[in-house]
Amino acid sequence: MNTATCRVGLVFFPAFDWAISPDHPEREERLLYTRDQIAEEGLLDISGIEEYRPLIAADADIERAHVCVPTVNSVATQSHRIAAGGTMLAADLVLQGRADRSFALLRPPGHHAMRIVHGSRGFCNINNEAIMVEHIRSVYGADRRIAIVDTDAHHADGTQDIFYNDPGVLHISVHQDGRTLYPGTGSIDERGGPAAYGLTVNIPLPPGTGDPGMLYVMEHLVMPILHDWQPDLIVNAAGQDNHYTDPLTNMNFTAQGYARLTQMLAPDVVVLEGGYSIEGALPYVNLGILLALAGLDYSAVREPDWRPDSATQPQAVTDAIARTVAALQGLWATRREADLEAIFGARQFFQRRRDIYYDTDNIMERQSEQIRLCNTCSGWRSIRSEALHAFSGRAVRIGAVIIPRRACRQCRLDAQGEFEQLSALRRAGRLNLTYLQDVEADS
Amino acid sequence: MYLPIRDDVDAPKLYGSRRGRFHLQPQQEDFIHPVVNPDTDARGVITLTSLPVLGIDVGGTNTDAALIIDGQVVGTAKVRTDPGSLIHSTAAAFAEALRAAGHVSSPLELHLSTTLSTNAIVEGRGDPTLALAVPGPGMRIEDLGLGFSAWQAGGAIDHRGRETAPLDVESVRDALSSAADSGIVALAVVGKFSHRNPAHELQIEQAALEGYPQFASITLGHRMSGRANFARRLATAYLNARIQRRQSEFVKMLEQLMLSEHRVAQAFLLKADGGTMRLSESMHRPIESILSGPAASTMGALALAADPGVNAAVIDIGGTTTDISVLVNGDPVFDRHGAVIAGHATLVPALFARSIGLGGDSEVRCDQSGVHIGPCSAGTPAALGGNAVTPTDAAAALGLAQIGSRTRAIRALADFAGPIGLSPMAAAERIVSAFAAQLAAEVEAVYISLESAPVYTVSEMLTSPNIRPVRLIGLGAPAPVFVPRAAALMGLPFELLPFHAAANAIGAAASRPTTSITLHADTALGILTIPEAGYRAQLPSRQDFGLRQARAEALTWAERAARSLGADADAAHDVSIVEEESFNVVRGFHTVGRIFSIKAQVRPKARRVDEA
Repeated sequence: MNTATCRVGLVFFPAFDWAISPDHPEREERLLYTRDQIAEEGLLDISGIEEYRPLIAADADIERAHVCVPTVNSVATQSHRIAAGGTMLAADLVLQGRADRSFALLRPPGHHAMRIVHGSRGFCNINNEAIMVEHIRSVYGADRRIAIVDTDAHHADGTQDIFYNDPGVLHISVHQDGRTLYPGTGSIDERGGPAAYGLTVNIPLPPGTGDPGMLYVMEHLVMPILHDWQPDLIVNAAGQDNHYTDPLTNMNFTAQGYARLTQMLAPDVVVLEGGYSIEGALPYVNLGILLALAGLDYSAVREPDWRPDSATQPQAVTDAIARTVAALQGLWATRREADLEAIFGARQFFQRRRDIYYDTDNIMERQSEQIRLCNTCSGWRSIRSEALHAFSGRAVRIGAVIIPRRACRQCRLDAQGEFEQLSALRRAGRLNLTYLQDVEADS
Repeated sequence: MYLPIRDDVDAPKLYGSRRGRFHLQPQQEDFIHPVVNPDTDARGVITLTSLPVLGIDVGGTNTDAALIIDGQVVGTAKVRTDPGSLIHSTAAAFAEALRAAGHVSSPLELHLSTTLSTNAIVEGRGDPTLALAVPGPGMRIEDLGLGFSAWQAGGAIDHRGRETAPLDVESVRDALSSAADSGIVALAVVGKFSHRNPAHELQIEQAALEGYPQFASITLGHRMSGRANFARRLATAYLNARIQRRQSEFVKMLEQLMLSEHRVAQAFLLKADGGTMRLSESMHRPIESILSGPAASTMGALALAADPGVNAAVIDIGGTTTDISVLVNGDPVFDRHGAVIAGHATLVPALFARSIGLGGDSEVRCDQSGVHIGPCSAGTPAALGGNAVTPTDAAAALGLAQIGSRTRAIRALADFAGPIGLSPMAAAERIVSAFAAQLAAEVEAVYISLESAPVYTVSEMLTSPNIRPVRLIGLGAPAPVFVPRAAALMGLPFELLPFHAAANAIGAAASRPTTSITLHADTALGILTIPEAGYRAQLPSRQDFGLRQARAEALTWAERAARSLGADADAAHDVSIVEEESFNVVRGFHTVGRIFSIKAQVRPKARRVDEA
């Protein structure tokens, strides 16, 4: 039996008995052909590639990353808990030295789930990567610097939201330009909150981008940024919907492109996100990723309908990518020189208002947030959120106070005071529910 | 009525292949069958057939035989195995057992467990074999770590059994010609996803049959197993082709022997899954007879245990190793993937057994953290004239077992215990305790590993079946000393099987035919495949074929396969569904069909045997 040059822990959970609805892209069948391919290749007989049964995430694990409205159980099914728990286990395998790298090849996905969760958006309920990051910082040390490179074709707006103001997390999202695809966000000027400005890096790519464009971005932008920031752990949120056969997007990546990307990035943990070309892409892309992670030859991995021109991209696309990369190289190099007062104001608080639509569950959320601009810590946050559930006509108003990791004494006191005020509003009937998220006190 | 697929392969070739697994003939008129409820599967012990059964286990050193009539052992025999001629050893044990039993006039059934194929594979013997693979895209065949080389022909089948690239017929002819020219007589043909569509394998077989009579033995991958795993299927077919001629010669000699012994009505060979197959079938699938010795031992335990229908750990303690196997509701647990032999991972169905380096003759060491036993053997125990101290010596010194010289055992213990400041008896106590503690830990580890096997559904994550043992079943000479102590540590009752020199032969005699088939139905493509039976047919229409029909088909084919392997009506009816998957196939937001994958099996079971 052959031996992998890198030990890979595979947490495979295809959830063969769970679907959003019978005909939904996120259904039982999604990883069936991937399972068939992995089993038929005999990949699990290779010494060094080990398969693990996932864990089940508990309320406390999920609540480190989310405020679930009204409760965790109301927004997360057992399959969501297993996907999150499996992702946590993938990190454990690497951090405990049981594997050199790991792959959480599981569903349902999570990268559109934001900090406040009223329901499902973009097929996501709870954010697997965010729950994993908080698990790592709670168990293995709060000072772990973690980089998330999200290569799904859709902007990772949920992960971005959760780590928007978190100086311990570098979040890079490479995606099809938001002007042409759900969820619409992810432009290069979304760069993070006042305490983590520049650590949100959005790389929008034009429709039609193929392997050459993606690998150019990796080589000239993503890898230099990672080299510069020196993370302790690199996580790849590996959506597979950039593939040329994906029914929901307009990109031109191939299984070979994904494998080369994986080889170049050398991530510690890979987490599956989207990807709905379940026969034409997923079996081959996942095989390519696994072989690349294990340090094995992936040169013979090829889609049945692959043609030499499958991954080509027009010159205009190549030129546009080069311009985007050049602009982002400049932004990264000068991120510390940015005038934060001009961006976030000179007052005590930075405020923003957003409307967030939950396409999967048809919920309209109106959110207003204020972040304390603090010189000693990343600052406490207060969020008011009002959700209208279109199916039931139910409306929910909540208030949440977030105390960040390593909050200063004053921010901690002020946050407690704010929570008292929100609680008073709840007693007065102006809010239905109030939440206090204090990760360090909870773990 | 399902029609054979014409555009795929001609129907007569599909069914008429002389190397088919079960040699089934199409019986199209009886394809609609009543649904057999798998829950009615009778568990536990089955009734004894009327014929006396002679079980023979040809081991590396000794050949054991046991004759069983009406559930009673009426005669046993032990002869030295002649490694040069397993047939002689078999004949000698045969004669000896009948002599011991006295006068037996009725015809009898012979159940034979041999090391013939195991030895051939372990020693690297067999015919030079051409492995002809159609790997398609994916992992490079060089990276599979096969331990043999394979000719690669172009062509590809995908995960749903669709041809995505035609077979490179030129390359196949080149391979066959050059192999035939260099005197190769055995051929193994395996395509990736051939269990979903065997078309390329059948095309190659046809080319070989038509143009190259030199190939005396041809093994097709899809006939060996309906399970996924190209690398294992390739190794399984390759090894099978390699040892096929040897097996045929052995069977012919055995048939000669049976002709001279008119009393043998029918003969069966033991398999790695604890079941039997007809002698004639073993010529086509000799690979399934590997590792039948350990399986016979587990079946022996099942035949002799007081209450075999429960969850139990079977612990077989020998001189150098202990084998742990697992019963769930009396059914032996299978290895999830298939047997591994001499570094070759195969798809051969095999009973699960964890072999650990812990036995009566194991090495004993002592350090700051305490006494440790194994995994290496120390050779002969001091009590029997050896030099090193062993667990056997500790047992002898404490008077727990009468073995050799107790004085010599105590002397050796004194040499061992002196430097660590213990009396010989205190050291002996520690050694026995350490053995029991290590054994209990290993049994626990076996259960943890079985329980943490990956599952792919939410319901299996939430409700795992209870496989935990309610008792330990001990066998082997050292078992009476160590199993009760390990059981006490685990808080479990135990049972010690009466030590029987012929337990393996009893296990061979007690087993019955087993088989399994894999049904894959894809109603979107309109195709039903049962690779082991060489059956592939068009489904009438997807509306008419649901899970109910898929189950019924699977059970019917399994029953038919069991009969062709020699099962009597009772055993053949005892089929059950052991794995089942069903998926909606959705394209463009519409359900266009369903995929069913069902494994049906006749499980290994042991006839009840009592000591006479």
